[in-house]
Amino acid sequence: MAMNYNAKDEVDGGPPCPPGGTAKTRRPDNTAFKQQRLPAWQPILTAGTVLPTFFIIGLIFIPIGIGIFVTSNNIREIENPSKECEPYRRNEDKPIAPCGAIANSMFNDTLELFQVGNASDLMPITLKKKGIAWWTDKNVKFRNPPGTDPLEERFKGTTKPVNWVKPVYMLDSDEDNNGFINEDFIVWMRTAALPTFRKLYRLIERKNDLHPTLPAGRYYLNITYNYPVHSFDGRKRMILSTISWMGGKNPFLGIAYITIGSISFLLGVVLLVINHKYRNSSNTADITI
Amino acid sequence: MGGAGVEVGSRDRPCKWVQLPPSGPHTDQHGSQPWEDPGPAHTDGSVSHPQCAGEEDWVDSRTVYVGHREPPPGAEAYIPQRYPDNRIVSSKYTFWNFVPKNLFEQFRRVANFYFLIIFLVQLIIDTPTSPVTSGLPLFFVITVTAIKQGYEDWLRHKADNAMNQCPVHFVQHGRLVRKQSRKLRVGDIVLVKEDETFPCDLIFLSSSRADGTCHVTTASLDGESSHKTHYAVQDTKGFHSEEDIDSLHATIECEQPQPDLYKFVGRINVYNDQNDPVVRPLGSENLLLRGATLKNTEKIFGVAIYTGMETKMALNYQSKSQKRSAVEKSMNTFLIVYLCILISKALVNTVLKYVWQSTPFQDEPWYSRKTEAERQRSLFLRAFTDFLAFMVLFNYIIPVSMYVTVEMQKFLGSYFITWDNEMFDEELGEGPLVNTSDLNEELGQVEYVFTDKTGTLTENNMEFRECCVEGRVCAPHAVCNGQALPDASATDMIDASPGASGREREELFFRALCLCHTIQVKDDEEVDGPQKSPDSGKRSAYISSSPDEVALVEGIQRFGFTYLRLKDNYMELLNRDNDVERFELLEILSFDSVRRRMSVIVKSAAGEIYLFCKGADSSIFPRVIEGKVDQIRSRVERNAVEGLRTLCVAYKRLVPEEYEGICKLLQAARVALQDRDKKLAEVYEQIETDLVLLGATAVEDRLQEKAADTIEALQKAGIKVWVLTGDKMETAAATCYACKLFRRNTQLLEVTTKRLEEHSLHDVLFELSKTVLRCSASLTRDNFSGLSADMQDYGLIIDGAALSLIMKPREDGSSSNYRELFLDICRNCSAVLCCRMAPLQKAQIVKLIKFSKEHPITLAIGDGANDVSMILEAHVGIGVIGKEGRQAARNSDYAIPKFKHLKKMLLVHGHFYYIRISELVQYFFYKNVCFIFPQFLYQFFCGFSQQTLYDTAYLTLYNISFTSLPILLYSLMEQHVAMDTLKRDPALYRDIAKNALLRWRAFIYWTLLGLFDALVFFFGAYFMFENTTVTSNGQIMTSNTHVVFGNWTFGTLVFTVMVFTVTLKLALDTHYWTWINHFVIWGSLLFYVVFSLLWGGVVWPFLSYQRMYYVFIQLLSSGPAWLAIVLLVTVSLLPDVLKKVLCRQLWPSAIERVQTRNQCLSVEQPTVFMLSQTSSSLTF
Repeated sequence: MAMNYNAKDEVDGGPPCPPGGTAKTRRPDNTAFKQQRLPAWQPILTAGTVLPTFFIIGLIFIPIGIGIFVTSNNIREIENPSKECEPYRRNEDKPIAPCGAIANSMFNDTLELFQVGNASDLMPITLKKKGIAWWTDKNVKFRNPPGTDPLEERFKGTTKPVNWVKPVYMLDSDEDNNGFINEDFIVWMRTAALPTFRKLYRLIERKNDLHPTLPAGRYYLNITYNYPVHSFDGRKRMILSTISWMGGKNPFLGIAYITIGSISFLLGVVLLVINHKYRNSSNTADITI
Repeated sequence: MGGAGVEVGSRDRPCKWVQLPPSGPHTDQHGSQPWEDPGPAHTDGSVSHPQCAGEEDWVDSRTVYVGHREPPPGAEAYIPQRYPDNRIVSSKYTFWNFVPKNLFEQFRRVANFYFLIIFLVQLIIDTPTSPVTSGLPLFFVITVTAIKQGYEDWLRHKADNAMNQCPVHFVQHGRLVRKQSRKLRVGDIVLVKEDETFPCDLIFLSSSRADGTCHVTTASLDGESSHKTHYAVQDTKGFHSEEDIDSLHATIECEQPQPDLYKFVGRINVYNDQNDPVVRPLGSENLLLRGATLKNTEKIFGVAIYTGMETKMALNYQSKSQKRSAVEKSMNTFLIVYLCILISKALVNTVLKYVWQSTPFQDEPWYSRKTEAERQRSLFLRAFTDFLAFMVLFNYIIPVSMYVTVEMQKFLGSYFITWDNEMFDEELGEGPLVNTSDLNEELGQVEYVFTDKTGTLTENNMEFRECCVEGRVCAPHAVCNGQALPDASATDMIDASPGASGREREELFFRALCLCHTIQVKDDEEVDGPQKSPDSGKRSAYISSSPDEVALVEGIQRFGFTYLRLKDNYMELLNRDNDVERFELLEILSFDSVRRRMSVIVKSAAGEIYLFCKGADSSIFPRVIEGKVDQIRSRVERNAVEGLRTLCVAYKRLVPEEYEGICKLLQAARVALQDRDKKLAEVYEQIETDLVLLGATAVEDRLQEKAADTIEALQKAGIKVWVLTGDKMETAAATCYACKLFRRNTQLLEVTTKRLEEHSLHDVLFELSKTVLRCSASLTRDNFSGLSADMQDYGLIIDGAALSLIMKPREDGSSSNYRELFLDICRNCSAVLCCRMAPLQKAQIVKLIKFSKEHPITLAIGDGANDVSMILEAHVGIGVIGKEGRQAARNSDYAIPKFKHLKKMLLVHGHFYYIRISELVQYFFYKNVCFIFPQFLYQFFCGFSQQTLYDTAYLTLYNISFTSLPILLYSLMEQHVAMDTLKRDPALYRDIAKNALLRWRAFIYWTLLGLFDALVFFFGAYFMFENTTVTSNGQIMTSNTHVVFGNWTFGTLVFTVMVFTVTLKLALDTHYWTWINHFVIWGSLLFYVVFSLLWGGVVWPFLSYQRMYYVFIQLLSSGPAWLAIVLLVTVSLLPDVLKKVLCRQLWPSAIERVQTRNQCLSVEQPTVFMLSQTSSSLTF
């Protein structure tokens, strides 16, 4: 165990050798910072104070620029990451494309919407398949294997996910919506946050401004049931919704804003009263200190 | 060269010291192992084995062979015993054990160990986060700490080496040899020259002075700067040369090393030619201690008996234990609470996971099959792995970065102390030193200050202030220390023309002062001494054990009387007319602390015999029959209250017959064999009667600048100030009065040896506690009636001996009674003075208070080596950078140039550091609750699958970069109240006393706030996602990009709200907005946004996944997300703002009142200050 005994002490006690007699005037600088007397910054718009803003703008813009540049140079096939594929990496000695549990569980019911006409005839409503995924996902993140061959050739040597009905290169007939860049697949791959979730399935476009998108009437929904949910007590729903800049129907934010606004207002009133009531007393208290 | 011999044994034959020498040496007959109890082994035929007084108390003894010479033939073979060499070791590590020992010590810290475990778990099992996230910071922390400690230890090694290699002269085979100090062994004969420090504990054999004495100053040992006289052993004092001393044949038996500096018992056997050893007792007057310095003696010879770490000096240093501040302790407690929370979170999740999976379709639904390996693993193992994985997932609740930030805050923050210009001392050319930055905040928590007196409160510089002759006050009109004395011109002795008899009295008074003392004049000064002008550096010429005497004799030089020398029993002095007067010194009735006076009897050239007596007023006045008693008494009392050390001088003329009688009486008493001291005292008592009072003197031990002001401020701040000193009671009490620790109306309670002689300790303590309790009862009453200003306040005086009685455990083990009683009394006293304290006793007192039931925070301040033990013992040790020796400064936690700097140190720096670090700690826990609780909640929505809510980058960077700098800068810059206000109003210190900002209430408030915020973040985002299709940046902008948000968007939304809330919360708490704060707070928010844009804006080639790709940008392009962020941030901050406003309005603390008042003041000024509303009160 170390004793706290500083041998050096004795050295200065006696005459021998006080080590290194360095310059003794070590008066600390009398700067505002070191004396903890920095003034608070008062924002006045002068060239000097605006200057940092320019730098900041630069700081934001340049990285974004770099980002876009790097991205466009970096467009490539998204490979199957090793870790996240288990246990759906290989099947029958062939790699699964796309691998992983998320891809494997892709929703594959088919929904068709018909308007029931006057004579009970069914008029199919065009459900747009494209434009439901993020542009960047579709155009940057997800790529098909490179090559000019037909997709089937490019996916040769792989096998379909265990629970899929069709292989990945047969998801859609449209070449631009097939394989990894199939938008249903991309939408599915953006995993939902919560157990109850909604996914954008199709878009119904308004034909012209005169007619409503879906006029009042009877509709017929044809579901090709592929996706089992009973086993885990799941439920499926199809929702038809209009969208504004807010997204879909959005009661929560509105209610929350109103509530919080009201509470703040109320608190303001309360504080006003308290302030008025206690001001005098607190002022006198100050004086007595 | 043989090793030194030793004999260790217990002595069981209590017998009185007998002068008869025994016939043989005292080695153990049986030659048994020295550590075995040899029993009554001394059967060597000596009729009466000599034993010195107190020898029966020896626990163990050692025998030292002087010069390693074995006893003459006939002695038994001695067993060489290995003593430690004279090496001083203060270093902790060696080159080889540094890495393992340092690592071991570092991982003994709970936090480090915890992080290590987390890191290992992450390495071993498959966890949701990368091991790098916890490994890297840990590695960083450990390395930095190791480098720092290694460097410190290297410095210690260097210091040790410098010490151990100091040259020492010692005698070997009759010649003088120069060797390194560390090679010194027990038994070596050492030569020490003037002004050298003794290299180890020595028995004083002989001196260059004829009378076998030497002067020693122990200033660096016990703080007494006066010269003490030590005596060589009678039988060896004739050995003056190396050859002589080499022929000395002796053994020394003494006790094993004890830490008590003032106690030593032993005996020396000197073997003469006759072969019959002469046996002499040895006491502390024969012992020269390591650390003491030889003064005024050309050289001495001594034999080493205790070396190295066994010297009394080394034994008096306690091992420096790591001091931990109260904040750190709270932090550790909170850490344990959070650890419990963490474990319970992980447990709850693990259990729920298996509950959830108990239904088969949830255990293994078709979309999530298990791997083979997973299926085969046992349930227990799986559960355990899951538990660990949850632990890792939530481990961020106790972030490594908190420790890094705290360390950095302490380290960087301590620079503000070093940089403080107000604490810089021009005279010394030095500012404060920070030796440990661990205790910055403890400075804001001090409840007891223990201060040394000499050199700390006072300048340790006695100065003659005035004398009062016949009721007239004379002050030397010289200028002292460049400062004109007040009062000097008021009554100048020349102005008030005394009558002829008065003038005669006056001169008699000065002669009395010139003669009545025990001063020695240093020899070499004698040559040219008289010719020197009185003021030119004569100070060094006088040597005395009492600095007051020196001050007096020097002082009266200014009145024209100079003491020259004592020559051939004649005292010579130079009078006003520059004539030498000679007085024959007949008798000295030396000073003792019971009589508290001393006398000399001298015979003037004219043949008149005088007795001059000098002493404390209380011991002189009763013996005075003539003189202007009343005037002098009032003057003395006035001076005493001012803290001057007063002495009264009286005389009487003796006719030769009387003197004859006195001589006889004295002679009779001196030769008395029994009770000599008592008889002498009686004789003195008889002689010193019927005196004529001449006058009084006042000497000042000048207080340090602003000492009184500082003590007053400390007391106002609710700090109790105790003075612990080795000095005697009267002196110490005078200082206490001078520095306003005791006031005029303070009632003094004494627990002193003197009083204990009359009453038992029990009675004294009970009586005092009764008095004090009555007082405290009335105190509370007074408080109610608002009359507390006039209440009686008490001061306690206790001395070292009484203290050791109180501390000593009684046989029946009921020691705590007295201690409790004593503590009770102390608690009710406004000031306590402990005098006659040994260094270790000072530490004992500190310890007693430290471990009393309130566990108050103690601070010890001192300048001397004698204060080191208490400096080390107290929670905070402060060294005053003294003129002599820097031992205290070096062993302290902080060193300041002057006592007055303590005020700013505690009231300003301490206060700031405390609020800074407490906010830092609370905020850190708060922000990590905010961080991790949503993660926990998320597990309920992802089937307890350990899915992380945030991206790895966010997990790693949250504490490291997004939210680290604002709090660090806050904890460096924050000033909730202006510095000047804190200094002006010491009572504000009470606001933060008792760890006010880190109590459980505060901690729970912060944690609940964190929980609330976390709930808001999570469920805010949840409802956004649950109830709406947050899917769009809509038709207004680009009609065809409809967006689907996934889990990462969800996490990012929560995270964004969190970063903003947490940073803005700090912004709300900041009272002092310098540009740095602005830069850092807004800068971090900006950095977060820029980082997120960049992180999501690029497909990073090195990442195996691109899950964050465009997530943040898509989030920001959604209108509802913006609305949600604004909303949730507002909601999170609302309760805290509300609480702040309400508390300030309804139950303002003293600090808040001052803040408000300052705000009002600055608002009233019609300036641009109004622009900066948040900071207006603090900036200017």
